[in-house]
Amino acid sequence: MALRDTAIVGYAETKTVEKSDRDVWELGAEILETLLDKTGFEKGEIDGLILSSSMTGAGNCFWSQTTADQLALEVDFCQTVDIGGCSPLGAVARAAAAIDAGLCTTVMCLFADTQAAENNQRMRAFHNEWTVPLGYIGPPAAFGLLSRRYEHQFGLDYAALGKLAVAQRGHALLNELAVEKLRKPITVDDYLNSRMIAEPIRLLDSVMVCDGASGLLVTSRKRAEKKGRSKIVVPIGYGERTNYRASEPIVDVTESGHYVAGQRAFAQSGLGPKDVASFHPYDDFIIAIMMQLEMLGFCKRGQGCAFVNEHDFAHTGDLPLNTGGGQISAGQCGLAGGGTNVIEAVRQLLGEGGKRQVKDTRNALVTGIGGIPYGRNWSSSVVMILTPNA
Amino acid sequence: MTGLNDTLNVTREPPKPRTFSKAYWDATREKRLLLQFDKRSGKYQFFPRATSIYNGHRDLEWREVSGKGQIFSFTIADRARPPFQGHEPFAIGLVTLDEGVNVMANIVRCTRDQLKIGLRVKPFWTPLANGTHLLMFEPE
Repeated sequence: MALRDTAIVGYAETKTVEKSDRDVWELGAEILETLLDKTGFEKGEIDGLILSSSMTGAGNCFWSQTTADQLALEVDFCQTVDIGGCSPLGAVARAAAAIDAGLCTTVMCLFADTQAAENNQRMRAFHNEWTVPLGYIGPPAAFGLLSRRYEHQFGLDYAALGKLAVAQRGHALLNELAVEKLRKPITVDDYLNSRMIAEPIRLLDSVMVCDGASGLLVTSRKRAEKKGRSKIVVPIGYGERTNYRASEPIVDVTESGHYVAGQRAFAQSGLGPKDVASFHPYDDFIIAIMMQLEMLGFCKRGQGCAFVNEHDFAHTGDLPLNTGGGQISAGQCGLAGGGTNVIEAVRQLLGEGGKRQVKDTRNALVTGIGGIPYGRNWSSSVVMILTPNA
Repeated sequence: MTGLNDTLNVTREPPKPRTFSKAYWDATREKRLLLQFDKRSGKYQFFPRATSIYNGHRDLEWREVSGKGQIFSFTIADRARPPFQGHEPFAIGLVTLDEGVNVMANIVRCTRDQLKIGLRVKPFWTPLANGTHLLMFEPE
């Protein structure tokens, strides 16, 4: 199977900052150099470039080509993945597919965005007609609607959500690359008392938009072996779904495409929820973590908060969660933010977690969430399961 | 608890319709609510699209509906950007119309205590500068 023949041979990540004083290509250049230095690959061996979406790059419809030019990469495969926060994992999956199809051999997946410093996006979607006139601020309002509905259907234990926020914050304290502003301890009471943004969404439910970049170098296992790279990470399961239940006029917003994407990823990997050694879910809002636990089958629907109360999400716990702090506590690097979750998973599987190293490195499950649709859940859901040198 | 702002004093930019949503906005000039109806499946859809969400065909027609329905979910915006900034808190609801579609809109003339999932609502139209109206909902 193509996916298992793929090797992630290196990762790189910049410091996450509130507002970058460096150009997005300067961040990209740092990622490129770090990947080359860490893996021993030469620039000329990179023959594929896949970018995540970028708010900074959003005004340029030649984004991947221009970035290849700026970094002086000569490639046989060049594209941007534009499924929002799912783009980083989507980039790895597409790299695997392109390598398997013989289109290229070694791909730099680059997730770089300086949304806080330079946002060039202009949405062409439903917003101008159907949500802007309501004073609707996209994601917080959408998650406010979603949370209220969840509460109506199942009840919502806000202290349990607070437990997740506290666990992630604890990890950001141990992550020197996390944005400094958020590297302060919080308690469940801090979470519960943080001010309302879009009721019942609180400040400490939400990500803070930041700037930063990360990247992965992806090649075939064969080539990795030839290059003498034995410390690799292998994707063994992947599922992706965009517009879950697109043909239905009203959907249950407490259900997401992770249900189907997760089933596919688990089936490919031969693993189940009980086997997951560490969990790195995309976290734009805290409730999304809890809902993904349900969708991925860690627990039944409506039981997410009960599950949270029964488990320990610290890096030393029974289900380590976003051990770098996740995006909510490390900062969200714009549309490159999903890189934060996957880079941390790769780092842990390579045993390079330092003070926050997890014990069980047999595998890691990473997810993505991308796009906020009209009156639904989220637009894209991806799930990837990784193992070290499987 | 502070009351909710009906945001009727907010100056909203009239949206620019697409070719396939123009009929909707034109009808709002007379405070009439039109929904796209898919003749093949016999179902309504919202927001307006260039295709049927059910089957990919374009056998769509516009039908006028009452706009009555019930609240599916709601959120209260405590933070907003201009021109809504300073008008918080205000309510945004997701309303299930009796025709079986979900519509997002401001909920007005409604207290926090009244605002509940399942509350029956009816249209409330607020004028926009170009003569069209924006759909809102108030308790029935």
